[in-house]
Amino acid sequence: MAVFRWGHSWGHSIGDLEREVDRLLRGVTASFQGLRFGRQYPAINLYELDDEYLLTAELPGMSPEDLEVKIAGGVLTVSGSRQDDDHGSEHNFRRQERAHGSWQRSLSLPDRVRDDNLSAELTDGILRIRLPKAVEEKPRQIPVTSG
Amino acid sequence: MTNELTRPQSDQPPDQSEHTSIYATPSGPSPVERHVFTPPIDIFETPTGLVLRADLPGVSLDTLELQVQNNRLTLFGRVAPAAPDGSRLLHQEYHEGDYLRSFILSDNVDHESITAKLTNGVLEVFLPHAPEAEARRIQVSGS
Repeated sequence: MAVFRWGHSWGHSIGDLEREVDRLLRGVTASFQGLRFGRQYPAINLYELDDEYLLTAELPGMSPEDLEVKIAGGVLTVSGSRQDDDHGSEHNFRRQERAHGSWQRSLSLPDRVRDDNLSAELTDGILRIRLPKAVEEKPRQIPVTSG
Repeated sequence: MTNELTRPQSDQPPDQSEHTSIYATPSGPSPVERHVFTPPIDIFETPTGLVLRADLPGVSLDTLELQVQNNRLTLFGRVAPAAPDGSRLLHQEYHEGDYLRSFILSDNVDHESITAKLTNGVLEVFLPHAPEAEARRIQVSGS
């Protein structure tokens, strides 16, 4: 519908330029993007520190009550659900890009992690799980298995 | 549909490709390269106005800037590194970066009464309808 496109006076040329700038600035969407590509959710990063490993994940909208972190048999399982059900009918949406629902992810921990002393913390939608290294050996790398 | 909605700056869905944009901070002698992401949003309507939600994991009240200028609502959230200095990245499935997105506000949003809250990395902005948002009759005169 380009009837009024030519010669209109609403200053859209400025808007077009700004849109272009926005496009240039656009990056990768975070969050549930992995779901669309069949990847595991949530995406995790793993860091090594002197005496522990640090596992981080982006979990916006999750509160500690929505989240479960378990460890059994050397397997760390993180699960939770995000429910956004206060928007009324689906017809009310003008735009819907954020996903919601239940998810679960399991990771095998190597023997070199002391699994009796993990701690997890959720701040501003970022989950941090600390995995202390076993005292006797200082491993260089944890193999991460997606299961 | 003639009623103008609050709409994102671009009508395209957020970029689903894997490429990452870089911007240079304008201040400072040496540009700092950072990732800038377009956060996913929801916009839905309520009887009294529109609600906008954006996923901004890692953004806190101190690092969030939300401003309305002219007809544009802009959100910018800075993300501090999740791991302390000196840590070694062993495995990476996501990139850290800041969040930027802007929206054109329609005239029937009461700009003065916009409120926002940030909870667990999710920004919620309430955009109330302007009181005079009723349909107006426009007088058409012949020449």
